[in-house]
Amino acid sequence: MTNSTREHGVRINVSQLQKSFGDNEVLKDVNLTIEKGQFIAIVGKSGSGKSTLLRLVAGLEQPTSGALLFDDQTIKKTDASVTMMYQDSRLLPWKTVIDNVGLGLKGDWKDRALSVLQAVGLSEFQKEWPGTLSGGQKQRVALARALIREPDLLILDEPLSALDALTRTEMQDLIEQIWRDNQFTSLLVTHDVREAVKLADRIVLIEDGEITLDLENPLPRPRDVTDERLVALEKQVTSRILEEEPLTSH
Amino acid sequence: MANTFQKQLLPWLLPLVVLIVWQVIAMLEIVSPSLFPAPTTVLESFYGLVVSGTLAEHIQISLYRAFVGLLIGGSIGLILGILNGWSKWSFFTFDTSIQMVRNIPHLALLPLAIVWLGIGETSKIFLVALGVMFPIYINTLHGIRSVDRGYVEMGRMYGLRGWQLFRHVYLPGALPSIFVGLRYALGVMWLTLIVAETIATSDGLGYLAMNARQFMQTDIIIVTIIIYALFGKLADMIAQVGEKNALRWHPNYRK
Repeated sequence: MTNSTREHGVRINVSQLQKSFGDNEVLKDVNLTIEKGQFIAIVGKSGSGKSTLLRLVAGLEQPTSGALLFDDQTIKKTDASVTMMYQDSRLLPWKTVIDNVGLGLKGDWKDRALSVLQAVGLSEFQKEWPGTLSGGQKQRVALARALIREPDLLILDEPLSALDALTRTEMQDLIEQIWRDNQFTSLLVTHDVREAVKLADRIVLIEDGEITLDLENPLPRPRDVTDERLVALEKQVTSRILEEEPLTSH
Repeated sequence: MANTFQKQLLPWLLPLVVLIVWQVIAMLEIVSPSLFPAPTTVLESFYGLVVSGTLAEHIQISLYRAFVGLLIGGSIGLILGILNGWSKWSFFTFDTSIQMVRNIPHLALLPLAIVWLGIGETSKIFLVALGVMFPIYINTLHGIRSVDRGYVEMGRMYGLRGWQLFRHVYLPGALPSIFVGLRYALGVMWLTLIVAETIATSDGLGYLAMNARQFMQTDIIIVTIIIYALFGKLADMIAQVGEKNALRWHPNYRK
């Protein structure tokens, strides 16, 4: 899809990262190294701190203490291109599909926008308003908007959780295929363990602000969700999450 | 077929009935014709005013006052609304003062405006500007503030800063609300103009009506009132066309 010869991907180094909101310590001493081109999934229940970690990596929040490095550079100094897909597509309703894809770009981007729209299968919708698209189509446009910038890091903030099951599977396959073609680093935050084991090379579980599980997922791609190894992995993560439920009553 | 009738003809049925009843009452002289001239009499004096060129003269000066006042007051309201929606510093510096001035009925300043600015154009334009400023200010402020934070965050993530962020995210997001302010301001504009022109002036539609009152020319008073109504409707229609065009992305404005 991309013609550039530039190598994509970025290595991310998180060390002793801590974040508090007032007295509330949301992340406690998180250490994590994400290799260049790795597809990592962060799972956890809501309130576990996974979204805060995502916002820190995206540069939307500042850590209270600790370091966050992109190829050994701080976020402010890095020239790595970071793009994001949100749970709600966040397409600007007052811009046509193609203008949403080209948002903030300079120079002649129309041809590139058309080719990314083609890659997500929506080139015939370029002149439409986002309000006329379905949820799945909106997320495809949001994916195109993230891809046109040739990201080194693509952050996926539960981008598929609002979609119906069939569309979600389709989108998972599309994201996986595009990631394999471009080899950027991907960070997926999700509460859907099945989605995590299907897409990611590595699954990290965050509980109560700490990493409590860090699993490699070497299964060959493309993966079939009914593959018993995948099912076993999913069970392993899920049971680990459920184990953490407080067993004693108050 | 029924739909065309409903949309195109039905809205005009009631005005037509009123007009016919009015004509019949006047023709039967149920009330005095000098108080209640027939529509045909009104039409005649309208024709007379058009032919003599008097009407065009008065309309011209009234439109000038309305337009200049709207331009000045609307610009100030828009700029203040944007600034105060954009910056907390600006908001806390200006908003309280603006709200205090807003709560004075602006027509109460008419005597003061005449004393300070004289009976010339300035005092009338000042009052129109003051009147239209507030609805535009409040709606612009509200519009800028209610732009979805998610869009702003996304815009920043995708490299939009300062003017770019304003042009691509804040302004289009606030536009539906700004148009509400504009349409409301147009109403205030006519209202202010009529009042300002009935006092201390020698031209304009308001003067025409007040002058006619002195000579009991009820027909001319009615002519001016109808002209106000027509211009009010016309201004609103122009604003609506602009609104439809600017907001064609919005599901509520789609045909």
